[in-house]
Amino acid sequence: MSFADIQQQARQSWMRFARPDVPRVLVGSATCGRAAGALDVLAAFREQCADDPALKGVDIHEVGCLGMCYAEPLVEIRGSEGSSVLYQGVGVDMVPDLVREHLGRGKPMVEHAACLMAGPPVEGLSRFQDLPMIRHQLRVVVRNCGIIDPSNIDHYLARGGYSGFTRALGMDQDAVIEEIKISGLRGRGGAGFPTGLKWSFARKSAGDVKYVVCNADEGDPGAFMDRSVLEGDPHAVLEGLLIAGYAIGAGHGYVYCRAEYPLAIERLRTAIAQMREKGLLGRNVLGAAFGFEITIKKGAGAFVCGEETALMQSIEGKRGMPRSRPPFPAVSGLFGKPTNINNVETLAAVSAILEKSGAWYAKIGTEKSKGTKTFSLAGKITRTGLIEVPMGISLRTIIEDIGGGVLHGKEFKAVQTGGPSGGCIPAKHFDLPVDYEHLAQVGSIMGSGGMIVIDHESCMVDVAKYFLEFTENESCGKCVPCRMGTQHLLRMLTDIAAGRGRVDDLETIRKIGDTMTKASLCGLGQTAPNPALTTLNSFMDEYLAHIEERKCPAGVCRALIRFSIDAGQCTGCMACTKACPVQAVAGKKKKPHRIDQNVCIRCGACRQACKEGAVMVE
Amino acid sequence: MAEIHLTIDGRTVTVKAGATVLHAARQAGIPIPTICDHKDLNPYGACRMCIVEIEGVRGFPTSCTTPAAEGMQVRTRSPELETLRRRTLELMFSGHPNTCLVCPHREACESMRPMATKAGRTTRCGFCSNREECDLRNMALQAGGRDLNLPTLYAAHNLERDDPFMDRDYNLCILCARCWRICEKIHGKPAISIINRGRQARVGTAFHKSHVHSGCTFCGSCIDICPTGTLTDRFARWHGKADTRADSACILCPEGCSLTAHVKGGQLVATAMTAFEPDSSLCALGRFGYAQIVNAPTRLLRPTIRDNGESFSVDWDSALDAAAAGLSKHESALGILVSAAASREDRHLYHLLAQELGAKFAAIPATPAGTKPLLPKWVTGPKKSRSSALILSGDFLEDKHLAGLDFLLVIDGLPSPAQERADVLLPAALLSEAEGTFRTASGQIKDLARSSRAPGMARPEWEILWDLGQKLGLKSMAFDSLDHITAAVGEDPAPQAFADAPRHDVRTLPAFYRGHRTADLVPALEAFGLSATPRPLKQDVSIEGFQLLETRELAPNMHLLRIKAPQVAAHAKPGQFVILMAKETSERTPYTLADWDAEAGSITLILEEVGRSSRELALLKAGEVLAHVSGPLGKPFPVAKKGTVVLGGGCYGIGAILPLARALRQAGNHVLSVIEASSAYLLFWEEELRAVSDEVRVATKDGSRGAYGGVQEVFQQIVDQQPVDIFIAVGCTFMMRMVAELTKPWNVPTFVALNPIMVDGTGMCGACRVSIHGETKFACIDGPFFDAHGVDWDELACRKSAYAREEVEALPQAVDLSALMFPGAARPRCGCGR
Repeated sequence: MSFADIQQQARQSWMRFARPDVPRVLVGSATCGRAAGALDVLAAFREQCADDPALKGVDIHEVGCLGMCYAEPLVEIRGSEGSSVLYQGVGVDMVPDLVREHLGRGKPMVEHAACLMAGPPVEGLSRFQDLPMIRHQLRVVVRNCGIIDPSNIDHYLARGGYSGFTRALGMDQDAVIEEIKISGLRGRGGAGFPTGLKWSFARKSAGDVKYVVCNADEGDPGAFMDRSVLEGDPHAVLEGLLIAGYAIGAGHGYVYCRAEYPLAIERLRTAIAQMREKGLLGRNVLGAAFGFEITIKKGAGAFVCGEETALMQSIEGKRGMPRSRPPFPAVSGLFGKPTNINNVETLAAVSAILEKSGAWYAKIGTEKSKGTKTFSLAGKITRTGLIEVPMGISLRTIIEDIGGGVLHGKEFKAVQTGGPSGGCIPAKHFDLPVDYEHLAQVGSIMGSGGMIVIDHESCMVDVAKYFLEFTENESCGKCVPCRMGTQHLLRMLTDIAAGRGRVDDLETIRKIGDTMTKASLCGLGQTAPNPALTTLNSFMDEYLAHIEERKCPAGVCRALIRFSIDAGQCTGCMACTKACPVQAVAGKKKKPHRIDQNVCIRCGACRQACKEGAVMVE
Repeated sequence: MAEIHLTIDGRTVTVKAGATVLHAARQAGIPIPTICDHKDLNPYGACRMCIVEIEGVRGFPTSCTTPAAEGMQVRTRSPELETLRRRTLELMFSGHPNTCLVCPHREACESMRPMATKAGRTTRCGFCSNREECDLRNMALQAGGRDLNLPTLYAAHNLERDDPFMDRDYNLCILCARCWRICEKIHGKPAISIINRGRQARVGTAFHKSHVHSGCTFCGSCIDICPTGTLTDRFARWHGKADTRADSACILCPEGCSLTAHVKGGQLVATAMTAFEPDSSLCALGRFGYAQIVNAPTRLLRPTIRDNGESFSVDWDSALDAAAAGLSKHESALGILVSAAASREDRHLYHLLAQELGAKFAAIPATPAGTKPLLPKWVTGPKKSRSSALILSGDFLEDKHLAGLDFLLVIDGLPSPAQERADVLLPAALLSEAEGTFRTASGQIKDLARSSRAPGMARPEWEILWDLGQKLGLKSMAFDSLDHITAAVGEDPAPQAFADAPRHDVRTLPAFYRGHRTADLVPALEAFGLSATPRPLKQDVSIEGFQLLETRELAPNMHLLRIKAPQVAAHAKPGQFVILMAKETSERTPYTLADWDAEAGSITLILEEVGRSSRELALLKAGEVLAHVSGPLGKPFPVAKKGTVVLGGGCYGIGAILPLARALRQAGNHVLSVIEASSAYLLFWEEELRAVSDEVRVATKDGSRGAYGGVQEVFQQIVDQQPVDIFIAVGCTFMMRMVAELTKPWNVPTFVALNPIMVDGTGMCGACRVSIHGETKFACIDGPFFDAHGVDWDELACRKSAYAREEVEALPQAVDLSALMFPGAARPRCGCGR
């Protein structure tokens, strides 16, 4: 079957799926949706529709993630009237109503809806692309996520899938690399190395056997971009890997995916089987003189295995530990052969670039940072989720417009980008354009795209300590600066948070941080001190308050705070007495309560429970 | 091969293509510090000490991993490099007991402590068996000042002492990974690797298996390549650095592997691989057994003859005369049995002797575990067919074969049943004690070096046989030199190799050496299934005695023991001590009473593991019984109101000063207690002391808590602030001596608790005698407290080290087989690091 036939067949399959007159239910069932209960909701829809003979023909599908995590579970329903409405926060209890009203009577339930996805307008509902969260986004990498059924290759093909690869197949290998160079795409795994250049190194390396590897070992705490793409659109990544394989002359690709992503692995397995079925894998891919195979390698979850040399060791069955370069993987990589490693997001962008052209991609973004970047927006923000924006967009737009501002309207203090390797950007840089250069200027990094918003109720010492706990745990132990440096940084941050800090600790943190940055073997160690160093630079006063005044201004560090009840505000509702896990709050009904400081464990449960704001922290 | 020209520190260096920047610098004589690099290993780049600056290269690449390139401009020295290296070294040392780097008393301490103490856990230089040859320490000594002042982060890994032959203390490990890299190089698949992550990262086997069950062949290369005291040869470790090394070959099996003998003061302390190459690997017996065989405490020392059923030690001449006379008399019915584990020369002379005397001759080959060599009919056959006179060069025959012989000459180095019946017994030098040559299974002839001294009057067999030949007047056995004998051997056949070489498979280790069971000589071999001679089971566990109520490791290597001893508790006074015996066969050792409870009938001691006896006590579990507790012994400290009393305690002395502080304060004194330790993590009982003192001050040798230094620095501070009426110091001899020298010019009465070797503790044996103001005193009954200013410290130090070698040799070499079977029982972790 020619590729045109394959595409034709796929379009027919997609038409059935997309026909506006067929009632349809799409349940966002990526890991994020599942965590919010999407599978129960899915089962409830199936059950409801099966019970009603009139609804037997309703198409029910699992789809990937649209990125609106704050609103999960998300369900898109298209009734017989033809309007596709996205419902948010769908619980099992809402399913009978939705089925009856929208599917049955063709009356969308606007009160539960987030937006209109397609079809005739519905009063009171704005369209998806007009949502404040979506308006500023540009969806290239996540172009299909939440839109198509990720377990159906026809959906991907019908929306232009694999046409980038067939285009590449018609080009000279060097021309493919040139196309990537023109696009200006830089590695999305964190370091931002120009992808086209990286490919050209591996292409030039001598040798018959070469490898391409997809790095799907997403390990930053709070980062879930790669997972979403793999779960919502696995073919976009696999097509990118196929193109990379063709361009550098590799016959074998590996996807190194962490075992903690079982759904992503399942989707990848399905997708690889479908590729084989369609002739997109094998000795002669699409009949061409190009053979390619893909192997999935599950990683055991070590953060350091995201580092490319460690990752290759892990694929080889050895302990995942980085090694010094040179030799670079492009010269001597996996099993000693020339190897090219790209991140999930990079490869998903590659398939889009080959489909639409490098010039198209290069128009997006800034001069040095082209294209789009996905971010996982988390922390103290109103709309958490996965977003994709053009490079150069301001932090303010991301946080205020897309994210809806700081949670509960509180004051913005800082944003942490780049995960454990990144830094904290204070509020004064709120208008900073987000691209590789500007983030580096303020001491942070793009990283893989974690973005954690911090408000005034977060303690910066605690934030730094959190990330150091992570890196201290994840250091592979090979090189001295990282192994011992993270331990000492964590020790001092713990001391400071516990009120045992000394002023000269701050200087020692800087010295150790500097040593780690300059002398560590791999990126993990070189960047591990960043959370401590950047908070120290921007929030010195907070550190000094912990050390000199033995106070935590944000009211977070337990050893330095005490909770008390403002007798004037307390209504004696007993909510705090019930919330307290150690019975430290005493008081009778309708009489002001008191906290016994000797019993209190400073967990803050009373403060959360109090509706009057009477529990104070100092 | 192509050449590369590069510039290092302004000097042009030419190297072969493929060389690293580090190689190039070394070639040019430019020193770059490094610890993970090793000439026999591939570059690894972990210690980060060898960083350099290279023009056009971002950051600070490691010279060990960077290939030299044409035109490269390298700088090995710059202020920034120096700073980074010093800080990296400090970071490295913060994960390793770091007194080598930071202790202000290091030099003085080492001058008085020439040999390391045989501690359980190594927490400082004085406890480190590796300090004479520690690469890390050498780097530290060159480093100069500190910058970060980091405290030690002691990981508190369990000591690993259950495996045969090796002691492992991963608290000293800096993860240079030399061990697993050499294991991988030599054996392909390494038995060890780095396990866990982050602060838990360490070297270990998969799933915490014992090394016996991990595929380890005990070649010892990891121990020999370890730059720290982490991996040590249990037998060799406390003997100190070898002064002589000699290449030789192993004769224990037909492989004839090359080995290097490590000799200290004429004593063989270890044998190791000649090179870190796969072909050079040794088996467990060759690597670890050799020295134990040679140093066996049962070695035969003197020529002995038997007359009328009684045996006498005689000189060599008389013994040889007796042997010659016996042989002449029984020439017609003589048989000679020798071991194939002998030099070609020895064997040749035995063979010549057999020819000359018309005797039967057989050489018994070495055999792998599980097989027994066949003996010739003329020793085991029907009585009539047997030889009635024998020369045995080993232990080959059972009692039934030995009965009724007319004449028996035994030439051997180790005891056997035959020895009891021998008419003449001639003590032979073994293995590294005799020179010669050996033909290996592959036909190669290897030289055997005489590198260590034979014990007592033992002599090489070729010398004995040569003399015997002279006594018998045998012309064919008259040689000018050993070389002539070697030349006369000619083309002897190569021995038959084992089916599997022992160095690849521990299950094929030779079970016998000269007919003696190797497991008898090297007890740890039992871990590989080699059996020792069955011994009558002797229970050495005390059933009656003094119950151990509580035992706890308060700080690394410091154990608290609470023992039920009502009589001692009822009569104890501050300053007194007790003598303990863990088992009935244990040594008697004194310990100062740290506390007692007359009502509960219990006493409390602080014990530091520094050798065999303290280890036996430290390993006892709560509920077990000590064979013996005697006390209270010694004179109580004369407690009286004197004014301000300053007490200093270090190590076990921290415990010892507690009852003194309490009593002195009750007597109305103002009591200041000062405690010291190498680092904050080694301090204990600070709160307990605070409760019985007016003030407690702390000193650490790394400055991690309190004053930087030791007790003496704090004493100086106190004297500068207030008048003091009495000083008392209890701790190591070095600390007490320093205090004595410090307070002498102040003219303040100073008392120290002396700790000489003691046996009975009641003034009978005199082992504990010390000189105070020129007068001989017994520490047990006149002490333990003496005027510090009158102590002859040099004499004390000398007497304390009198049995240093015996103390080392007393350390146990056998392994606990049940501990080996269930190594993971105490560590229920999966190994993933979480």
